[in-house]
Amino acid sequence: MTILTRLGQWKEQGKISPEQHAHLSALSRREPLSVFLELNVLLYAGVLAFVAGLGWTVSTWSHQLGDVLVLTILSAILATSFWYCFSRAPAWSAAETPTPSPIFDYVLYLGSLVWSLELGYIEKRFHVLSGQWDLYLLATAILFFFLAYRFDNRFVLSLGLSSLAGWFGLTISHWPTHQDATYRQYALLYCLLVGIVGALLKRRGLKPHFVGTYLNIVANVLFWALLSGVFEREGYGLWFLALLIACSASLAWGLTRRQFAFVAYAAVYGYVGVSSMFLRSVTDNTTLMSYFVVSGVAMLVVLVQIGRRFGRSA
Amino acid sequence: MRLYSAFSEETLRTRKLLTEWVGEGFLSKPQYQLLEKETVSDLRTTNIFLRLVLFLFTVISVGAAVGLFFVAFVPHSSQRSDGVTLMICAAICYAAAEFAVSQAKLYRHGIEEALAVCSVGFLCIGMLLAFFGGGFFSSKPDAAQFLVPAAGAFFSLWIWRRFGLDYAFLAAMIFVVFLPHHWTSSPEAQHLVVAALYATGLAGVATIRSRHRFDYIEESYSLVEALLWLGIYLAINLQLSSLNLRAQWWDGTRAASEFARPFYWGTWVLTWCLPPIVLARSIRLKDRFIIAVGAIIAVLTFVCNKPYLGWQRHTWDPMLLGILLTGVVVFIRRWLARGAGGTRHGFTAARLSEKDKQLINVGSAGLGLLSPTPTPQPSSPEFHFGGGQSGGGGASSDS
Repeated sequence: MTILTRLGQWKEQGKISPEQHAHLSALSRREPLSVFLELNVLLYAGVLAFVAGLGWTVSTWSHQLGDVLVLTILSAILATSFWYCFSRAPAWSAAETPTPSPIFDYVLYLGSLVWSLELGYIEKRFHVLSGQWDLYLLATAILFFFLAYRFDNRFVLSLGLSSLAGWFGLTISHWPTHQDATYRQYALLYCLLVGIVGALLKRRGLKPHFVGTYLNIVANVLFWALLSGVFEREGYGLWFLALLIACSASLAWGLTRRQFAFVAYAAVYGYVGVSSMFLRSVTDNTTLMSYFVVSGVAMLVVLVQIGRRFGRSA
Repeated sequence: MRLYSAFSEETLRTRKLLTEWVGEGFLSKPQYQLLEKETVSDLRTTNIFLRLVLFLFTVISVGAAVGLFFVAFVPHSSQRSDGVTLMICAAICYAAAEFAVSQAKLYRHGIEEALAVCSVGFLCIGMLLAFFGGGFFSSKPDAAQFLVPAAGAFFSLWIWRRFGLDYAFLAAMIFVVFLPHHWTSSPEAQHLVVAALYATGLAGVATIRSRHRFDYIEESYSLVEALLWLGIYLAINLQLSSLNLRAQWWDGTRAASEFARPFYWGTWVLTWCLPPIVLARSIRLKDRFIIAVGAIIAVLTFVCNKPYLGWQRHTWDPMLLGILLTGVVVFIRRWLARGAGGTRHGFTAARLSEKDKQLINVGSAGLGLLSPTPTPQPSSPEFHFGGGQSGGGGASSDS
């Protein structure tokens, strides 16, 4: 019995109205078919191709073109993009706002990428902040966060989070010795900062729909940082304990909020951490294989139980 | 042939549509609760994240169990006996997958999928070891070795039909790529054989899918047809399927020397003919997967044209492509929007489904992280374009 047959039956039984029947039948027959998603993907590809070509051209031909021409072109694109966004954007609202035009998000994305490009060019040619290149990243991150919250744009929010992570990474490379432990501390600091800011902004009702992006990034960076600690030869006990706590928190969050990505993070990162602890001194292949059989089956049993209890309706 | 009854699968699809429609506001909550009771399926499903994790841990468990068997019971066996053992493992995995579906009623649950996938892997490796001593990649392969990819292709096709796993069809297509290598050394013939096999599959799928308009299985046939169109295009586009791709693209030297001239230029003509054919068919069928493939191969044709003709590539080529893509999108969007009710010929640029918005939200958060953020590097005054600073960190799931 196809969906169209069922809809016909439901209409006859009075379970749906004739108008609903007509509308839902048309949707099932793809009348009309929306190409919204396809056009958005093509726009994204177009912007990315344009910026990639622009960057390639600037880096290859900057000497022939001259600084004035390069900066004029980049500034013109940047100014036009931001002028378009600021002139078309509706009044700011703390809640989720629809985009004023279908190409709006991509113009903002173009402007953000060209900003990065121009900043990189200026530093390369003029060394305005010589030695303080990390400040560019921090300034870029702040600008991207402002644009993301002003225009309700996840593309630019992700760029901002990425730039902030880059700033943390570049700051640590100022240190004379690049040790994993120091990097790990900065990764944890990044998680703490982003997590707290994300939670505070949500609590204050400022673009609360962004919190998912914050949490996914924080969870992944946090788990990578903790796992790198668990893989250390010495002093890994505390990291392992922290990993277990993070896994429990991720699992609890995922189950209570029905966000099963966090259940998956807890399962996979937790399994990797626990396995590395168990297999630290194992050299025998039989023990190794036995461990994976037993632990794999145990994980399956637990996950099936979770799926039965929570997972079906998600 | 299919493990699941048409009724069960159609019911699951209906239930999914009901959930979407109530989310969109097309149905009221009481209506949904009433209709939900009529769409109870006996199949056990799970969400995408648990499905992926269950798949992963099933593969770990099965792989480790087979490894344990070899280590504990047959540590010094010959390759032939190892191969036979692996083929027995393939049979056990397949039986377990069938059992998981028939008894536990698992449907896209990760576990039965992993068992089926493992059975294909074990069968191919087992055949290779048992019959050919693992010499598949030697410089002088045995002509009979085509049996390994052939068995892989047939078994994958069987898994696709039996379990309805679309990626098994993709696996079958990948196995097909290895077949002509064992039959002929002519590169032209190898490309033609692959394209001909895909075209045969396409003819079969196109015939069958016409009987399944708007039913639960149409989406699967749609995806398979799209994959076959893409496969045919990749097989005939010598700039994409040639081995010295990098040299051709950067040096501007074409692959013409590898192939006979008529064949080379014939494929160039075909790369221009195929995108309009695919797009025309996708528009006639109103098929999203085929529209996507049509768009992808059209872009690939533009990208590959200069290397095909042996022309020099310029740094501004991607900019021109970007402008072209953006222009085409803006034109299509405006053209559709100007139609009556924002619709022309049954197409609209408006968003009709909340699912599209969610996909864009997730995609934009993920792709934003992977976007290039040019930054000056500390060790050198030169800066580098590209390479995001933090890498991907998952997608948002605000729902």
